[in-house]
Amino acid sequence: MHPQVILQSFGYLTQAAGVTISVSLAGIALGFVLGACVCMARLSGNAALKRIGAVYVSFFRGVPLLVLLLFIYYFLAEFGIEVPALAAAVGGLGLSSGAYQAEILRGALNAVPRGQGEAATALGYKRVDIWRRILLPQALRLSVPPFINEYILLLKASSLVSVVGIAELTRVSMNIASSTYRPLEAYVGGGLFYLAINLCFAALGKVAERRLGVGRAA
Amino acid sequence: MATSKTFPVTRRTVLRAGLAAAAASGALIGRPRGASADDTLAEVKKRGELVIATEMQFPPFDISDNGTYKGVDRDLIDAVAKELGVKVKYLDLPWTSILPGLEAKKFDLCIAPVTITKERMKRYLFTVPIADATAALMKRANDESIMKPEDIAGKTVGGQKGTSQLAQLKEFASKLPKPVEIKEYVDNNQSYADLAAGRVDASVNSFPNLAYAVAQRSDTFAMVLPPFGAPTYFSWVGRLDDKSLIDAVNTAILKTESDGTMVEIQKTWFGQTMNLPKTVPEPKI
Repeated sequence: MHPQVILQSFGYLTQAAGVTISVSLAGIALGFVLGACVCMARLSGNAALKRIGAVYVSFFRGVPLLVLLLFIYYFLAEFGIEVPALAAAVGGLGLSSGAYQAEILRGALNAVPRGQGEAATALGYKRVDIWRRILLPQALRLSVPPFINEYILLLKASSLVSVVGIAELTRVSMNIASSTYRPLEAYVGGGLFYLAINLCFAALGKVAERRLGVGRAA
Repeated sequence: MATSKTFPVTRRTVLRAGLAAAAASGALIGRPRGASADDTLAEVKKRGELVIATEMQFPPFDISDNGTYKGVDRDLIDAVAKELGVKVKYLDLPWTSILPGLEAKKFDLCIAPVTITKERMKRYLFTVPIADATAALMKRANDESIMKPEDIAGKTVGGQKGTSQLAQLKEFASKLPKPVEIKEYVDNNQSYADLAAGRVDASVNSFPNLAYAVAQRSDTFAMVLPPFGAPTYFSWVGRLDDKSLIDAVNTAILKTESDGTMVEIQKTWFGQTMNLPKTVPEPKI
């Protein structure tokens, strides 16, 4: 073991960790927006929207992220649709994560007892108020742990975006391994960065849980 | 379109117009794409930039040294681009994405060293050779039991899946008195790692790749001489219909061979010089 390999590549790894974090955060944000839309579609009264939401979830959960990325970047180009590498990476992560985030939201909303909404209606609450004051606050609280789970998984899955030519953390660790012929040190270095980032995510999740009082009320 | 004014509109001209329109619509969304395949060279010159792709994990040809692209291919493509009067944009893609990316026109040329084989010649256009690709073996530095290639009989050898060097190893091994166990890896670096860890007794790759690995880690690795394979060569590849671009690249490569640039590059990265054929050789494998 030659720890100096990690030290020498520290700048390169840090830069790559920055790419991993940015691509993942952008993917998470896109996924959240898509997920919220899909969840709304699935919970709406409109049969067609419901159907579209369900198809979205089963499609993007069913297709491996790697295949999705290759499809967006290489296959669409055959039809003259030129997607830049970064857009393909964020789009792939976001589309895929959107399906999971939609289900997390749907699960959390379904976990709020039905009677509460009915009772609020009986008491004369407006529909908007029922969502804003009763359903969403509780659902948000319930969804924090699974969201943090999903974000940590997405961050690790972001290693796949190297197939479209983005120099993220795993790819850079591989580059270091091949140029130094010291794979153990290179991957330990990359692994430590992933661990550090995910510990930060978990800590942020803890803060969010405390703020929202997860596990106490509801 | 001019063609449909001067010539009667045939199905082909309509098709061409359609293709050109498709290409133009592609240009609106992203990087400009060639209107038709024949003029990639013109397109490159107009853009002032040659877009190449390689996997920067193939020392000494392609190395990402703390984020800076280096190696034989880097030095050579820079010399070629200077000759063409354009700049170069380098993409680092995993090997499995490179040939699909070439066909999808994500870049103009693949400068990852590709061994010339009959099968590949049907799908891609090869440049003249850029380096020797003869298959050789590498062992652990302290292993006295392997002194010549034939000594791998009864031992375990690792190599990268789908490479011509691995195919040559299989053929070589089949003629040895004792069977050789062959382990296939996604990339050579894993095979080297297993060699260092003692899980395989030798690694197969092209002679220049191994010689460089040995020079970098002489405490761990040593060459098994001489190279066992038949002489083969590495080339760069382009799309089958990009003849004008490949011709221009070939002229530029041959110029580096006559003006001493190639010798400089070889001395820097291989520590020795090698003679290369001036035309694309007929593949034996």
